[in-house]
Amino acid sequence: MAATKEELLQRLSDCVLNMEDEEVIDVAKEYAAAGYDPLDGILKGLVAGINKASDLYEREEYFIPELLICSSAMYNALDVLRPLIPKEQSGGKCKVVIGVARGDTHDIGKNLVKIMLESANYEVIDLGRDVPVEDFVNTAKREGAKVIGLSTLMSTSMNNMAKVVEMLKSEGIKDQIKVIVGGGPISQSFADKIGADGYSVNAAEAVKLVDRLVGNAEPIPAA
Amino acid sequence: MLKDTMTPKERAAAIAAGKPVDRMPCNPNIANGVARVYGCKISEFNTNAKTIADAQIACYRRFGADSARIFTDLFTFAEAMGAKVKFPDDDTADLEAPAISADVPDSELMKEIEKIRPVDPYHDARLPLHLEAMKYLLDGVGDEMGCSAGVIGPFTNSFFLLGVERTLRAIHKNPEVVHKLTQISLDCAKSFADAAIKIGLTPTISEPMSSCTVVSPKVFREFSLPYLKERVDFIKSKGKGVVIHICGQTNKIWRDLADMGIAGMSIDNVASIKECKALIGNDTKIMGNVDPGGVMYSGTPDEVRLKTLECIRDGYDSPKGYMIMSGCSLPVDSPFENIDSMMNTVRELGYPVDVNKLDAMLADVKKRLGI
Repeated sequence: MAATKEELLQRLSDCVLNMEDEEVIDVAKEYAAAGYDPLDGILKGLVAGINKASDLYEREEYFIPELLICSSAMYNALDVLRPLIPKEQSGGKCKVVIGVARGDTHDIGKNLVKIMLESANYEVIDLGRDVPVEDFVNTAKREGAKVIGLSTLMSTSMNNMAKVVEMLKSEGIKDQIKVIVGGGPISQSFADKIGADGYSVNAAEAVKLVDRLVGNAEPIPAA
Repeated sequence: MLKDTMTPKERAAAIAAGKPVDRMPCNPNIANGVARVYGCKISEFNTNAKTIADAQIACYRRFGADSARIFTDLFTFAEAMGAKVKFPDDDTADLEAPAISADVPDSELMKEIEKIRPVDPYHDARLPLHLEAMKYLLDGVGDEMGCSAGVIGPFTNSFFLLGVERTLRAIHKNPEVVHKLTQISLDCAKSFADAAIKIGLTPTISEPMSSCTVVSPKVFREFSLPYLKERVDFIKSKGKGVVIHICGQTNKIWRDLADMGIAGMSIDNVASIKECKALIGNDTKIMGNVDPGGVMYSGTPDEVRLKTLECIRDGYDSPKGYMIMSGCSLPVDSPFENIDSMMNTVRELGYPVDVNKLDAMLADVKKRLGI
């Protein structure tokens, strides 16, 4: 008997959560072959799984290796499901320029944020690591991005985060482009100090933060 | 400005003998920032042993810190074992490519690891340069202070042999490969630690990848601890005490580290001195942990003073001793006035610590900062 949609969503989620980065491909193919909605597969299957993995990370049951393999599992299945999404559904939300600020080459955190934003339907322009200040600003201008996301694991690049904000100000476009920051040495107080629009402590929170900043946040239901 | 009246060696000996001293030992952990004091480019440390030592000495003369260490970056062992390292003109070296090419399939990894040959510390890559620098350092300040040699922990070194992401993955997907890499990292670098000890330096181990910020305590205990313990035992067998520094959060592995019988545990700013003192203060000296990025690099001298005093308040009465230190190596362009502020705060406080004076100094700086 063929698996139901709910069963397959559960298996997609479990594969991501349990680091089954190969098995998840077969499950995604089975899900696709059954003709179930690919966006549901991503959001209710894969993203549900990575959210659970993020919870375990916050509870210090999962660490970087586990999260890395969970995200690989998610990417592997995304490769199967994403091409099946009808055009009008993808890229519905705005563009985000993301990268690791100059002075650092650690990009695991940035990659997780990218996955989460893409899963939430943002178009992410990934500039990679050790990215010069002006590249963030120029790319955001050229692409019409509404948000710049800056990541670092090392204190050596914190100063360059401040410079991105300064450059946006000096070009008079700070109001149009929001800046969010995150990473090991970063804190809310650092974000406030350099005049960034937001800080998030992890990848899942980063999506909520961007939603809020660009006005995509779901309205809080009346009590 | 206040002046030290004792050398670090005199100070350490007096504290050990329970005698009064001018101040508490202090290590701002200036690392490659010594180039800014000495006036050279950081890349000169890759080719000139005398410059490595002279920059350390110049930094000691300028700030008066209690420690000098020959250490330029985390990649010296991996480089000697075949990894490619890039050397920016005036910044710290970084890994360019691991010793084992990304093209090697998982099935071939064990065979490829076998090919890595033991390191010869007198010939390979920058290791002889570092050994030579150790001699210059001892010649220059050896009678004034204990000098240490930075040694990279075996688990961390594995990441530079296989690549960081691939190693993180292999912990779950190919565990025997990680064990093998860590074993050869241990074996290969033994001769370097031995050579440094023969010269007269004390090895300190940096093991950042063992951090609870990176891997779970369970992974640490399975993949890192057995090898780290062997290195610690080896250094101890040569009559040297071992200080271990691990970046990020480390609270869940302090017990394991202290049980190895280490001489000191250097903790990062995200860890708690109070918590560390409560857990392992009876076993080992605690060192730390002024925030290197948020305070030493981007804070003001008064913010440095506040954090320095707060750290001392938390740690000064730790049973096996406490040393005020930055949580990790300082960013190279940390302002001199912040480093001076840390040293002068410690000088002004004096030693043994008078808690009333400490609290008065804390209240005073808080008032100035409007806290």
